[in-house]
Amino acid sequence: MNFVKTLATAALIASLSAPAFAETFTFTAIPDQDDSALKARFGKIANYLTKELGVEVKYIPVKSYSAAVTAFRNNQVQLAWFGGLSGVRARNLVKGSQAIAQGAEDKAFKTYFIAHTSTGLKKSSSFPKSMAGKTFTFGSKGSTSGRLMPEFHIRKNFKKKPKNVFSRVGFSGDHSRTIALVQSGAFQIGAVNFAVWDKELKTGKIDTSKVSIIWTTPDYPDYNWSIRGDADKRYGGGFIGKVKKALLNMNDPNLLKQFPRNSFIAASNDDYAPIVSVGKEIGLLE
Amino acid sequence: MPLLELKNATVQYNGTAVLNNLSLGIEQGEKIALVGQSGAGKSTLLNLLYQQCKEDAALVPQDLGLVRSLSVFHNVYMGRLNKHPSWYNVVNLIKPLKKEVDQVLPILIQVGLEEKVFEPIRELSGGQQQRTAVARAIFKDSSIFFGDEPVSAVDEHQSHTVMQAISASHQTVVLSMHDVELALKYSSRVIGLKDGDLVMNEPSGSLKASDLDGLYKQ
Amino acid sequence: MTASISSNGFKAGSKPRPLLRISLGFLVIALVLGLLGDFEITTLDPWIEIERMVAGIITPDFSATEDLWSAVVNTVAFAILGVALGNAMGFPLALAFQFRAVRILCAFIRSVHELFWALIFLQVFGLTPLTGVLAIAIPYAGIFAKVYSEILEESDPAPLQTLPKGTSSISTFMFVRMPDAWAHFKTYALYRLECGLRSSAVLGFVGLPTIGFHLESAFSQGRYSEVTALLIIFYVIIATIRKWVHARLIPLYIILALLVIPWTGELATSNLVRFFTYDILPHPLRVAETFDMGTLSALGAWLSIMWNEQALPGIIATIILTQVALVGSGALTLLFFPLISPKFFNTFGRTTGHIFLVVLRSTPEYVLALIFLLLWGPSMLPAAVALALHNGAIIGHLIGRYTEDMDLRPDSPKGLNLYAYDVLPRLYPQFLAFLFYRWEVIMRETAILGILGIATLGFYIDSAFADLRFDRAMFLIIVTAILNIGIDTLSRYIRGRLRLRTTADVV
Repeated sequence: MNFVKTLATAALIASLSAPAFAETFTFTAIPDQDDSALKARFGKIANYLTKELGVEVKYIPVKSYSAAVTAFRNNQVQLAWFGGLSGVRARNLVKGSQAIAQGAEDKAFKTYFIAHTSTGLKKSSSFPKSMAGKTFTFGSKGSTSGRLMPEFHIRKNFKKKPKNVFSRVGFSGDHSRTIALVQSGAFQIGAVNFAVWDKELKTGKIDTSKVSIIWTTPDYPDYNWSIRGDADKRYGGGFIGKVKKALLNMNDPNLLKQFPRNSFIAASNDDYAPIVSVGKEIGLLE
Repeated sequence: MPLLELKNATVQYNGTAVLNNLSLGIEQGEKIALVGQSGAGKSTLLNLLYQQCKEDAALVPQDLGLVRSLSVFHNVYMGRLNKHPSWYNVVNLIKPLKKEVDQVLPILIQVGLEEKVFEPIRELSGGQQQRTAVARAIFKDSSIFFGDEPVSAVDEHQSHTVMQAISASHQTVVLSMHDVELALKYSSRVIGLKDGDLVMNEPSGSLKASDLDGLYKQ
Repeated sequence: MTASISSNGFKAGSKPRPLLRISLGFLVIALVLGLLGDFEITTLDPWIEIERMVAGIITPDFSATEDLWSAVVNTVAFAILGVALGNAMGFPLALAFQFRAVRILCAFIRSVHELFWALIFLQVFGLTPLTGVLAIAIPYAGIFAKVYSEILEESDPAPLQTLPKGTSSISTFMFVRMPDAWAHFKTYALYRLECGLRSSAVLGFVGLPTIGFHLESAFSQGRYSEVTALLIIFYVIIATIRKWVHARLIPLYIILALLVIPWTGELATSNLVRFFTYDILPHPLRVAETFDMGTLSALGAWLSIMWNEQALPGIIATIILTQVALVGSGALTLLFFPLISPKFFNTFGRTTGHIFLVVLRSTPEYVLALIFLLLWGPSMLPAAVALALHNGAIIGHLIGRYTEDMDLRPDSPKGLNLYAYDVLPRLYPQFLAFLFYRWEVIMRETAILGILGIATLGFYIDSAFADLRFDRAMFLIIVTAILNIGIDTLSRYIRGRLRLRTTADVV
């Protein structure tokens, strides 16, 4: 390609990639559960943040954990509600980004192992080794509570990869669907985010005569709000602090139930060190 | 020196002779009719002759060579594609230009197709298609005309009109014909073929229809 | 039974019947692979889910979906723009198809499923309309190039010999080759638009704002009334396509599509550069400071792990699923085509048949597979049945239409006898030609079912994207592309050997 053409192309691409004039602040959230009416639900959060931050805040829906990370990496969103693992991945990819808040529940998050009644498995306080040979479903491939932590405990207790422990391993895609698949018997056992289970139990979506909890994992840190490090530069000094404050001050139950959390508390990147080491141990992080 | 000349021409397909050691000369201004049974070698001979002078000859092949999805007008216009720049041709393809339509129309009137100017070929009867191909050849404005059974599907009345048009607009005409009456009427010389051999080469004026019967007997 | 000797001395049964032989060969291969593969029924309790599904089907809810109409409009707009751009790129490629490099390029770009193109472009362009449009346009350009070049090749050469000497190649092309091809181009582009609508809907599964976005959510959450409503809208769009698409309206539609598409999001060159110069480099190369023997052996180890643990098992599962689904599609085609054939059913019966086939071929395989997953539990079975139904309905539709022009003798038999002794033998070569054309497509479609968790190559590619390991994704996509090109070549070889010809513009 000749030089002038190269220049022209470069100029064209540069003009396309110039930032929009109205600096909208955009966020997203991982689709970890029933994702109907996402815009209506997160639109409320966007309205709240717009009011608190004094800039226009927009929510964009994504379809997968990795899409949320990519949007964050590509600066299509500047703030995101991540899971533990996706948060670590996102912050690894964007230098200077930081976890600023987490749900009060996320300091000590749990995964439930659930089983169809026909398996005969009962709730126990020790790891249920009798699961071996049955069919098993994780949630999303990129989920902390639905993939990373359950896989960690399975490997630790069986000293084998999940696919060598169970007769079949699936990935349901999200937590609501894990519950539905185990409830229908399509899979005998599943690993599910405890907060989603508790919420669906409360709303009557779970038939406990068909599916029940057989084991609860030890606590681990999970979900978090992470923000790009260049947000201060783009939206003005102290912007990250303002976002953090707005999140921590969110106390309208109507807003909080979208996550579902009781409140948000401060968080830092270091809080997720356990996720980093587990992720490296089982090869989901490099 | 004749306009077209063949010396000891032999053509074989898969080992079977289609033309046997055939020699022939055609002078400028002659109107030649090639006659004989189907399979006698008429088309092969016609093609052989056409190849000699195709640069200034117009051809109506047996399969007519029409573009079936184009209109009568466009197919006739194709006879002069080399006379215009490409862009002009493309414009005329998309929107027929009045100037070109006006030039094509008289020829279509001659062959009786003036009511089908913008019909696509595939909508036409076999005879109408043949007349389109003849019109294209006439529009090409060459001095020599080659036609392989150009009026075989045209009805009797119109076949005379078409034959007259062909004769009138070309100095030299070479036609393969299966209709003996027509062949005699519109030719100055008849060349008869049988199984690839030249068996008759006579001025038309000296022949009667019955003289040609021998060509069609086993 | 004794072999009868016919009057001319040949044994009646000894005439080679290559079409029968190849059909039985493929059947045996599929049966063997079916036994080796993972096919079983494991569900315990599908009835609650089935009840809810049936309840959903009879109570479609058009108000349940957020932004329903914008999703519908986006689906159509992405399809129109994607197919138009694919056309615009495919046509010049078709003209240059005699060059081997062009053929290889086209084979490669069409061998990658549009979902994977979307996943790649998501990294480069993010969630912008460009991602959706290019994900359709790029693979379609490869398909258009191939089909258009075949159509042009088939145009009648007879007019060439009558052209006056000195006619320019442009004039020759425009007057001789284009006019006949044009009608085929239009038919084929319309057919591709229908495919484009399906592709566009499916792109919603990875996050583009089309019907698939909501369909996937609604289905996976068991909101079946919403699923039904979305599918009904989709069926109506596809079934009426001939009513609202006219050549003259296309420019208008393109302008409208450009106007309605949500041009949000920013494009950054840096993402493009980063993706191609960093993200897709195999991990050992990416982290290496210098390129030395250590790097080389790390790269070797990476390749060997990728090949042994993902590519190879993925290839095996992909081939098993493809072969079983191919034979299943063939069997269902033979069952389906009479449903829309005037030789077998009256107008009422055929209308019902048409609706049945439209529903089957318009429902994304993914949704069909999810239904069977709930019924039978996880294995290759739901995927194979979904693929067979979907493709059987498509080929059945084409073959059924083909029978419309078939002349029967006045005293021909009726019903089953007509089917077995007259219609089937006459259309069998056509049927096999269509099926072999579809072979490569079926293999490409196994990818989308990998996203469901069946361990085809598509599964490993999806996992790589989920783990943000684009080097692995790219490696596996290239493996998939090579496998697809291999199947395409094999199919062409078999079609050539059996002299199975078909007009290219229907499959």
